[in-house]
Amino acid sequence: MKLDELLEKTGWKLLTGGVDLDRELEGAYCGDLLSWVMGKGEPGQAWITVQVHMNIVAVAQLREFSCVLIADGANPPQDVIARAVDEGLPMIATGIPEFGTARKLIELGI
Amino acid sequence: MFYDLHIHSCLSPCAENEMTPNNICNMALIKGLDLIAVTDHNSVRQIPAFAEAAYNVGIRALYGCELQTAEEVHVLGLFARPEQALSMQSWIDEKMPDVPNRKDFFGDQLICDSMDRVTDEEERLLLVSLSASLEETVDRIHEAGGRAVLAHVLDRENSVTNQLGFIPPGLPYDGLEIRSPEEKQRVLAAHPWIREGDTLWLTDSDAHRLIEISEPENDMEPGDFGRLWG
Repeated sequence: MKLDELLEKTGWKLLTGGVDLDRELEGAYCGDLLSWVMGKGEPGQAWITVQVHMNIVAVAQLREFSCVLIADGANPPQDVIARAVDEGLPMIATGIPEFGTARKLIELGI
Repeated sequence: MFYDLHIHSCLSPCAENEMTPNNICNMALIKGLDLIAVTDHNSVRQIPAFAEAAYNVGIRALYGCELQTAEEVHVLGLFARPEQALSMQSWIDEKMPDVPNRKDFFGDQLICDSMDRVTDEEERLLLVSLSASLEETVDRIHEAGGRAVLAHVLDRENSVTNQLGFIPPGLPYDGLEIRSPEEKQRVLAAHPWIREGDTLWLTDSDAHRLIEISEPENDMEPGDFGRLWG
């Protein structure tokens, strides 16, 4: 599934307006400990996290994630969002906990 | 100048109740240390008694705390004067979630007077994350006149590298705490932008028991001390 289709089907909120959404989602990865995510994530995955520190942008780029799904109302600071926009990294607020976010992806066949 | 700038008192739930202000100062003196700091988790409420005990025992002291940020990163705030450290408490109170301590599980959180008599207890659990980012926490320490040291930077628990993958470039910390010289090489290898000579590298005990307080093996140049706390 492409990212723009995901947004359309879930109503989740794109935080990084203007970034390219023509990206294929290939599974997902859940994790908030960045050292762990750096070692385990796979390219193309949607990364589900509540971590909103600036380092998430670098980790997402390093692992070549398709996007970052910010769960559970976590609130990335403006400078983090601006950096993600600069890097062309889609960042999406799901507004529901990590488990619910993952379940929604599974329901959509991801 | 032999130092140990990361020591927990009996206010930290995970520390032994024997870690009273006078016991800490006297043990440090017996061990031949020149400079020590008490750094309890998310609190400076032991600092008045510690400051008085250090003065009475005759050992040089810094006054600190070990703050746990929203990212669950541990940061030491180290202050030259007790009142600077004490000025952190109202900010901590504002940022700390109100979770009651379960003494049977986490341990006692005892506050002493300068004679080591227990005069109070912290009722809120101190092993929690403040609702402040790492950057905000470092800024607050600086505003209070202190120095920010990223604690045990390569540990598998509550270190900046474990929680955030790597030390954020541009973070204005004052020092990095490592367990060994070998860890310094690993930090430098993983962070090409960190210059060895520009960084204060500290090796502390993180003592939770008296016996764990450092031996006189970690030496600080008076120039480094003067630059940061003089």
